[in-house]
Amino acid sequence: MTATESSAVKATTGVPFTLNGQELHAEEGELLIEACDKNGVHIPRFCYHKRMESVGMCRMCIVEVDTGRGPALQPSCMLTVTPEMKVETESEATKDAQDGVLELLLANHPLDCPVCDKGGECPLQDNAFAYGPGESRFVEEKRHFEKPIPISDLVKLDRERCILCDRCTRFASDVAGDSLIHFIDRGSSTQVNTFPDHPFASYYSGNTVQICPVGALTAAPYRFKARPWDLTGSPSTATVDSSGSRVLVQSSQDKVVRIQGVDSDAVNWGWLSDKERFIYEANVSEDRILQPMRRAVDGSLEPMRWNDALKQTSEALGKKAAAIGGARLTLEAQHVWQKVLADEFSVVSYDASLGDDVSADVVDSLPKATYDWAFNAGSVVVVVGQDLKEILPSIYLRLRGVVKDGSVELVEFNYKSGSLAKLARKSVQSRPGELAKDVKQAFTATPGERSSDLNCLVDTDKPLTVIFSRPNVAESADYLTEALQVIQSVRPDAHFLPAFRRGNTVGAQLAGLTPGVREVATEDEIIVEQVAVVGRPTAEILQEAANGEVETLLLLGADPISDFPDKALAEAALDAVNTVIAVDCFENPSVASANVILPVAMYGEVNGHFVNSEGRLSPLGARVTAPGLVRSDLEIAASLAKTAPQSNSDAQSSLETSHMLGSEPIAWDLLELSSEGARIKTPTKPIQRVKADVPTVADGLRLVIGNKLWDQGTIVENSRTLAGLCETFKVRINPADADRFGLTAGAEIVVKNAKATASVPFITDSSVAEGVLWAPANVRGFDPRSFVTFSESVCYVEVSAGEQK
Amino acid sequence: MGYLAGFPITLKKWFEGVTTKNYRAGKGGKSDVKAPKPDRLHGRHVLNRYEDGLEKCIGCELCAGVCPAKCIYVRGADNNPTDPTSPGERFGFVYEINYLRCIHCDLCVEACPTEAITESKLFEFSFEDRKSAIYTKNELLVDEDGKPQQLPWEDWREGEDKATSGWMRATAPSGDSNYVGKVAWSGELGYGVRQPESVELTIKPKSGDSK
Repeated sequence: MTATESSAVKATTGVPFTLNGQELHAEEGELLIEACDKNGVHIPRFCYHKRMESVGMCRMCIVEVDTGRGPALQPSCMLTVTPEMKVETESEATKDAQDGVLELLLANHPLDCPVCDKGGECPLQDNAFAYGPGESRFVEEKRHFEKPIPISDLVKLDRERCILCDRCTRFASDVAGDSLIHFIDRGSSTQVNTFPDHPFASYYSGNTVQICPVGALTAAPYRFKARPWDLTGSPSTATVDSSGSRVLVQSSQDKVVRIQGVDSDAVNWGWLSDKERFIYEANVSEDRILQPMRRAVDGSLEPMRWNDALKQTSEALGKKAAAIGGARLTLEAQHVWQKVLADEFSVVSYDASLGDDVSADVVDSLPKATYDWAFNAGSVVVVVGQDLKEILPSIYLRLRGVVKDGSVELVEFNYKSGSLAKLARKSVQSRPGELAKDVKQAFTATPGERSSDLNCLVDTDKPLTVIFSRPNVAESADYLTEALQVIQSVRPDAHFLPAFRRGNTVGAQLAGLTPGVREVATEDEIIVEQVAVVGRPTAEILQEAANGEVETLLLLGADPISDFPDKALAEAALDAVNTVIAVDCFENPSVASANVILPVAMYGEVNGHFVNSEGRLSPLGARVTAPGLVRSDLEIAASLAKTAPQSNSDAQSSLETSHMLGSEPIAWDLLELSSEGARIKTPTKPIQRVKADVPTVADGLRLVIGNKLWDQGTIVENSRTLAGLCETFKVRINPADADRFGLTAGAEIVVKNAKATASVPFITDSSVAEGVLWAPANVRGFDPRSFVTFSESVCYVEVSAGEQK
Repeated sequence: MGYLAGFPITLKKWFEGVTTKNYRAGKGGKSDVKAPKPDRLHGRHVLNRYEDGLEKCIGCELCAGVCPAKCIYVRGADNNPTDPTSPGERFGFVYEINYLRCIHCDLCVEACPTEAITESKLFEFSFEDRKSAIYTKNELLVDEDGKPQQLPWEDWREGEDKATSGWMRATAPSGDSNYVGKVAWSGELGYGVRQPESVELTIKPKSGDSK
């Protein structure tokens, strides 16, 4: 947006050119504006953005260039440096041109800076001040448009302020691939607008607000909340998913009011998904629990004191206890919770993930890729599982960029084609139960049998990265594991990148809060000693609880009733246990059955660290103080340690140290530190061999429950603006299947199997594989998990036409 | 006895007479008449309205941003389009001045783009606690006649409400058309008359303008 930091090191080789009389060198093919930036000469600009293609729309970066044919004014963002080019950025002609361009841009720009959200950090203000004429000669009426029109639930557009720089439209079409805003009309009536009846419903709409060089696009959640000069910011990391996008959390009057993307070369390139950007609204939700609560006899909640709450929790944890959740905590909190649970209360059953993601053991055993490694030119990316856009939206943008420009070949294996299916070399549609089979087919078929598009999978010259996620919670997770094994056996050089739904899942693995076999080096660091299995998968914990073998269940920001694949089991488990302790900030279906609720600090209120899906360690910054009597997870865990019945003082002091420093023996030796943060070293465990069941063949469609970005997650539900973005339940069926079953568009269909029968709306969608019924998880209206029998590896449903509406 | 050496100065000053000026006018400060104040004295602030009753403050926070004592707290909010508080999109939703901090430098008045905040010449006001030292929008805003509110603990005298200099623009842009061209307050208050600015913009409908 503004000038990139000028680097002090000046190149001595490359293309020689003269900048303001100074002999310099630029890289081959480098844009003049970039070369000037590098040499500390700032050229004003509006439309140029280093993460997008130049278009030369605004003409602000015009400079005087002499390539041997005499000096001429040319836009520096459209010009590559050529040998012996002479550039004048301070000449009279350049200044005149800058002056003129600004006068033109300001001719129709309204003077409502005092009420404009951009006022104070506005490139147009800055450039007009630094390079502008200083006075206006215009007395004429300015161009008028209706003041802000909402172009989506999140973004408002004020066309009067627009300077037609093409940044937002370029971002929407080139970067995000959602070309929903465009220029319309011609000449002085040219304006940016959406198509009639098509809102700017993009997962990335917030980025256009950040890159808009004027206040034409403003974000509804931030509108009039603060002015730029009373914002203070802390560098932090987005935690809504495991992409680890770098952000700046900004606050005013001790309230988080804005989150801006930070351009991190290794991770998100400055882009954020709207979920990452607008998630802070829940912090100030009226429904937030601000003091410890206890469930009264009549089921209502009543406040209690922290001391009593901790005492009750400590007593309850002393009996047969288990803990679920913790994948959203900071690395430090995960570590301390693990210590407190295992060492102080001797709890052996705990799992940070909720059985709806890839298991930690599988991930542990695979060689990891970084985003940079995966998206390096000339490599091949295989996406196994869900559409990356729904799970890691900000990383999807990077994948889209490299696939679109052809530098990376993409092959997909899924039940519903991803958003990149058209750009992919091949999008293989599979069906539940057949994923491993189809992956094996693609990787091991003889060249004659294999489609030539799939040859890139076995071309060992091209590095292969597999980005994988749990494709379907209605089927056994073994099919994915088996598919990954197949890939690893055919391509032992392949690297893997898990796409976890929950933020700090890798952190939880590192802190030992996920079940699995832990290997710890003995003192001579040569013999690797196996330590007993720790933790226990959520499925087992809930089964035991339902059988009455667990007395206390601790929920660490987890909602198993909404997230665990088998809802009935989760409900039975929460019913059967004596005491449910919820460490959470809102009431959700699971917290509703909690006996004690410990209110916990949220994003932006705690310091700590986060480990993203590639294993990159990045900081979480506390920007505001936690409201009410809320405490951080670390505080809660550490104070529980003090009340533990068999508390031993050594463990306590070690806990206190880690509490203070956040650096106690987390497996730091597994981390490689570098300038871009830290990465976990690739472990060398063998992959656990899994042979999944051969699916039974039955009539009907195979049920797939997939994820959407906007669902009824606890935080999204409690964000004022975001809550409305969650769609209502609709199943998707391939048109061929719809014809086969005689389903007519617009009518509801009846879906049934042995477990449930329901009449639900449906749409035909050719991206869904044939023989598959695709249903979104955890959205409004209906819960598709009611069809699933957890013990069966594939779930079949029958569909028939419902009543005409 | 060296300590007595300082006393001659004390004694000398004793008979020199008083240099402190009496604030109260009249001999010996006995009468209840205020001394005349300088023309540019900065006193307690007022938040002005337009002639048609709309508030001039748009909640832009420029006053708060420029304030060297950080005594102003402003928050903006969206105007209700059918019943606006101020012209335009945004209005001052919260407006507070902490007079324990205010140094009456008048920079807020200079920063204000709409002449919403001006200063009266009143400085005779005192507080008993911190809370009442913080003037909120309720207290700062002029009343329906454009006159500053006279709060019980403030010592207002006849004619002092004229000196608020909130006279510059009479009618709100895009405000109530009944008031276009009318100038009353500033004239009534004895501050002269300035012609109201034209507010009827000739807006030509554009073909691409959405409904």
